[in-house]
Amino acid sequence: MSGHRVPRGGSVRLGAVDGDLEVEKRARVEADGRLVVSGTVRCDGDAEFQGPLECRGFKARDGEIRLAGDVVVQEDLEGRDSSIVVEGSLTARRVDVDRRLEVRGPAKAESFEVGGSLEGGATLDASRVAVGGRFVLVGKLTAQKVEAGGRLDVGEVDLDRLEAGGSAEVKGGAVRTSIEVGGRFRSSAPLKFGSIEVGGVADLAGGSQGRSVEVGGQFSAEGDLTFEHLEVGGIGSIAGNGSGGTVEVGGRFDVRGSLRLRGRAEVGGSIAVGESLDGTDVEVGGRLEARRAVFSGSAEIGGTALTREGLKAARVRLERKSRTSGPLVGGDVEVGARARVEDVYGESVRLGDGASARRVFGRDVRLEDGASADEVTYTGTLESSRDVTVRAPPRKVERLDPFPL
Amino acid sequence: MAGPANGGPSRRREATDLYATVLEVVKRYHGAARITRVSYGAGMPVDRLRNLLERLGALGLVRSEEFDGRPVYEITPRGQEFLDTYWKMRAYVEILGPAGPPGRR
Repeated sequence: MSGHRVPRGGSVRLGAVDGDLEVEKRARVEADGRLVVSGTVRCDGDAEFQGPLECRGFKARDGEIRLAGDVVVQEDLEGRDSSIVVEGSLTARRVDVDRRLEVRGPAKAESFEVGGSLEGGATLDASRVAVGGRFVLVGKLTAQKVEAGGRLDVGEVDLDRLEAGGSAEVKGGAVRTSIEVGGRFRSSAPLKFGSIEVGGVADLAGGSQGRSVEVGGQFSAEGDLTFEHLEVGGIGSIAGNGSGGTVEVGGRFDVRGSLRLRGRAEVGGSIAVGESLDGTDVEVGGRLEARRAVFSGSAEIGGTALTREGLKAARVRLERKSRTSGPLVGGDVEVGARARVEDVYGESVRLGDGASARRVFGRDVRLEDGASADEVTYTGTLESSRDVTVRAPPRKVERLDPFPL
Repeated sequence: MAGPANGGPSRRREATDLYATVLEVVKRYHGAARITRVSYGAGMPVDRLRNLLERLGALGLVRSEEFDGRPVYEITPRGQEFLDTYWKMRAYVEILGPAGPPGRR
């Protein structure tokens, strides 16, 4: 093979090169229509190519390379301590650039590995993409695995896995297996996902659906959300309806619409649901607020329960000094010492020491020391300890009216 | 690169932000992080990065070994623990907002 060498600072116009093309520092190569190199293009230092280029391999070192045209590399494109800008499309087998790669047209390769930053002006299609720093792509990203050490900001995605160190933003699509982001993750359009694990903050567009969400700090869904498990360390919110398996929130959890769970909700601070809240069990350290809340298992409230239509569960347990508004309906209803509640309905109702209720309807009712109620209506037994106050005489009846909810 | 550890809104990068940035880049190379590559990824000159990696190594947050006569770096489980705590704490700081002196009641 004869090959061709472009000397330092030289400028040539070439159509075809049989063999390798050696390009020295600050050289300029212009394609005569289309430049086809049967061997490898080797650049030492800065270089510029005008027009479309096709070659078997492309190797650059210690330079800034500008490729003004579409580029097809049958094997690998490498840039050692180099930055490469492709102003057209790029197709290669593997791409490995130390510093910066910019591709303004569509890019396709088995793998892209870039040490510094990768910028794409159109779509990118690969099996694997690994970027040490920043990865920005205007169009759709299709890949199995994508990793960025710093920031990732891409268009629609069709991925198996996504990992980013700092932050990641996508414009919807699908990440089938997992998303792992250290700092902040955002999807500005509906996203289908397997699992999301974010250390800091995550925001999803309404209509997103997935298996599990685990966020260390703050989570928000800008509309409806469907999930299996949602776990948030700090604050969580769903601006539409939530539907899923289980929820675990350390601090506050707000849902503007309804929240329908097949399992348990555990909230350390407060939960506020604009419409109805349903599930098997609920445990709230602070405050529960909903139009109505219905659980097939237990409801344990540490502080306050505010409902318009009521709170119903097989077992309702209110901690001492708790407060409720709206009816409580059980099963077994246990009102802690010095708690204040409104109407209570249950198979078995117990008002703890010094607790007060408005009206009590139950089969078996027990009032502990100092408990008080305006009315007590029962069908089975009424047990009262010392200093109990019932303002109207207790009524034993044959049957009670149906309970609310 | 925008913001601390390329993550959030801009504020002055503190030492912990730099450590987190470097650890995140090292993590992406799965045990084969060369110092030049980490330098491009973290946007930090090699000499400064070398000192920082030494510090991270002394704290047990990264470990290094020779590969082809050159050191390569890997994040340790302790380093991963640092990152988890760092990002969670960053989020809480953001949630809580800027803190003024506690008011008197």
